[in-house]
Amino acid sequence: MSRFPRLPAWPLTLKVPLLVAALMIAVAVMISQIVLSRLVKDQETNLTLLANAYLDGLSAAVLPAVIRGDVWETFDALDRARGQYSGVKARYAIVELPNGSVLAASDPANFPIHSAVPTELRSKFLKEDGLVINDEVGRAWLTRGLRTEGFSVGRILTEIDIAGLLRVRSQVVLTLILANGGLALAFSLIGYFAVKYMLQPLGVLAGYVERAREGRVEPIPERYRKKVASEFGQLFDRFNAMARAVNDRETLASHLAEQEKYAMLGRLASGMAHEVNNPLGGMMNAIDTLQSHSEDPEVLSKSLDFLKRGLAGIRNVVRAALVTYKGGSDTSLLTPTDLDDLPFLVQHETGVRRLRLNWRNHVTEPLAIDGPTVRQITLNLLLNACAASPFGGEIAVDASSTDGALRIAVSDEGPGLPDDVAALLSSAGQIAAPSRESKGLGLWTTGNLIQRLNGVAAIERSDAGTRIVVTLPISGEGARHAA
Amino acid sequence: MIPAVSRRSILLGTAAASVSSILPAAGASEGFSFGLTPLFLDNDIELLAMVERYLTKRLERPIALIKRRTYHEISAMLLSGQLDAAWICDDPYVQYQDKLALLAVPLYRRKPLYQTYVIVNDSSTAQSFDDIRGTVHAFSDPDSTSGYLVTRWMLALRQTTPARFFRDSFFTYGHRNVIRAVGAGLAQSGSIDGYVWEVMTEREPELVRRTRIVFKSEWLGFPPIVAPMVIREMPAVKALAAALLDMPTDPLGQKILSVLALDGFTTGTPDMYESTKEKWLVVKAQV
Repeated sequence: MSRFPRLPAWPLTLKVPLLVAALMIAVAVMISQIVLSRLVKDQETNLTLLANAYLDGLSAAVLPAVIRGDVWETFDALDRARGQYSGVKARYAIVELPNGSVLAASDPANFPIHSAVPTELRSKFLKEDGLVINDEVGRAWLTRGLRTEGFSVGRILTEIDIAGLLRVRSQVVLTLILANGGLALAFSLIGYFAVKYMLQPLGVLAGYVERAREGRVEPIPERYRKKVASEFGQLFDRFNAMARAVNDRETLASHLAEQEKYAMLGRLASGMAHEVNNPLGGMMNAIDTLQSHSEDPEVLSKSLDFLKRGLAGIRNVVRAALVTYKGGSDTSLLTPTDLDDLPFLVQHETGVRRLRLNWRNHVTEPLAIDGPTVRQITLNLLLNACAASPFGGEIAVDASSTDGALRIAVSDEGPGLPDDVAALLSSAGQIAAPSRESKGLGLWTTGNLIQRLNGVAAIERSDAGTRIVVTLPISGEGARHAA
Repeated sequence: MIPAVSRRSILLGTAAASVSSILPAAGASEGFSFGLTPLFLDNDIELLAMVERYLTKRLERPIALIKRRTYHEISAMLLSGQLDAAWICDDPYVQYQDKLALLAVPLYRRKPLYQTYVIVNDSSTAQSFDDIRGTVHAFSDPDSTSGYLVTRWMLALRQTTPARFFRDSFFTYGHRNVIRAVGAGLAQSGSIDGYVWEVMTEREPELVRRTRIVFKSEWLGFPPIVAPMVIREMPAVKALAAALLDMPTDPLGQKILSVLALDGFTTGTPDMYESTKEKWLVVKAQV
């Protein structure tokens, strides 16, 4: 069943003309009612006046004949009165004697002399002088007593055709309907076009707001500004000011993100240096030992093993850094190794805070997805988890691919993300970048990267900590090709 | 000269007064008063104007055309000397034949005769005079031969009266009104001058078409133009008779005759009205 659309959902260009039309109709109905009521009253007053004038003349003409009981003179007066009163269209007139019989009638064929006035007909007339109007049948019944010297000698009963008056009334109603209907329609159309014209600037504004929603915040060109009224001009100015502010902020945020990247790089470089430096001391000792006890095969073997392990550790750290920050890996593929490198990059962070990293990578084959970006997303989340975790806490990373999507879950035992910071991750593309002073720039950048890959991020909070789950779509075709 | 008011006060209601008490109007002033009974002339102002113009020219004096609602009023005025002459019905003429001098008789269809018609509403099933028994009947005038006397005489022959024969009856004081009453259904039957009915068939066919003749009487003497016997030799009265007889030779007279649908006038004789007189006597005997 289709529901009638709610009025507030309709466009203003429709609502205003409809409102104008509704008001016009309401006013028209009210005015029509007043006019008709006045017309009916006037018609009844006029009819009463005319009827009284008609009866005054008629009663004066017939009274002498009625007193004499003169059938012919009575008929003659009634007959001659027909057509002499243009305002009263009498269908018949009867002179009834006090005993209820007809002395004479203008229509003797229907009301023969000395016959009784039909009871049904008599009931339509008032017993005393007066007028009874029946609009439904278009008739009025007039009664006028005939008196002389205080005695009643009979009465005149007349039926009047008021169809003409009703016709005039109908014509007035028709005229009112046509005139008011025409006016309501005309005002509605004028209202429609006027409102449509007036709301044109709003359409322009809406278009630019929509572009902003899509990520293109552009100021409204000056040519539109010149055409609009002052209110919309001010609105355009404010929009343009906002657009400029947003653009400035975006630019600033980009700079900040870049700086953050370098800051992170610095931290990583420092960590890497630490990781490289740690085995270096041992390795130098091993070399010293070799130089001093090279003849001892056992010492030689142990020292060389130690050197080999130390160099392997350094090689891992260096290779991970190279992949992350120098590129070189394929942007259309993610290999399991691309993820497995990451623990090396955070080795320093976990070591310093005595964090346990529970690393589970279930990705076993290359996936058709931007590998470097996925690495960057995972690394950022990992670093965020390191920073958020309490000393000696546990961080768990779980990566898997199912149903055409790569799912990366990073959990920590931290107190959790504040709502505003969490929003930076889940709604990065729709909100402005945070200022440099505020926290969350890394998460906002991560959010943008997730959005770039058409992914979504979900944040789950529990007593045990926080878990961020990122789901990224994989191109199936690419995966098969890669496989 | 005696003022008219005092004359009227003395003479009103004295139709049968002695001849010596009547002061002839024509002899007392230069004017001439001519009475007309309501035939079908009710509304014919133009006809009255023509008659007045014609008689004024021929009599060389002002003519006053006097009209009254009933035949009786004209007869009374004539007999009381308030009129110099009058066109009256043959019934009052035969009633006062010894006091009235016959000046001229109209020629209708070249004869000084006419008939009484008894008419019914066109929707009536009546075919004869006896079929109108029990109807509401419209008479013209109690002093009219065709509009009352003949029907009254027919009833007298049947040993009955209007009150017994008809369900109801009334007078309309005009032959045209009888046609209106019967045509409208106010009365189901009526007594009327045949000459008027025939003329109105042409003048107002819509009105007459609603009536139908069920009885025609014998031919009777046409309503005459008379003057009080005492002034019959006065020049003005003789001039009136001559003017009437000369009407067909005068252009204005011809127009008048055309409107009246008459051929002219003839001198006429009292014996033309014997049949009317017999009927009146029969009715009078019943009353």
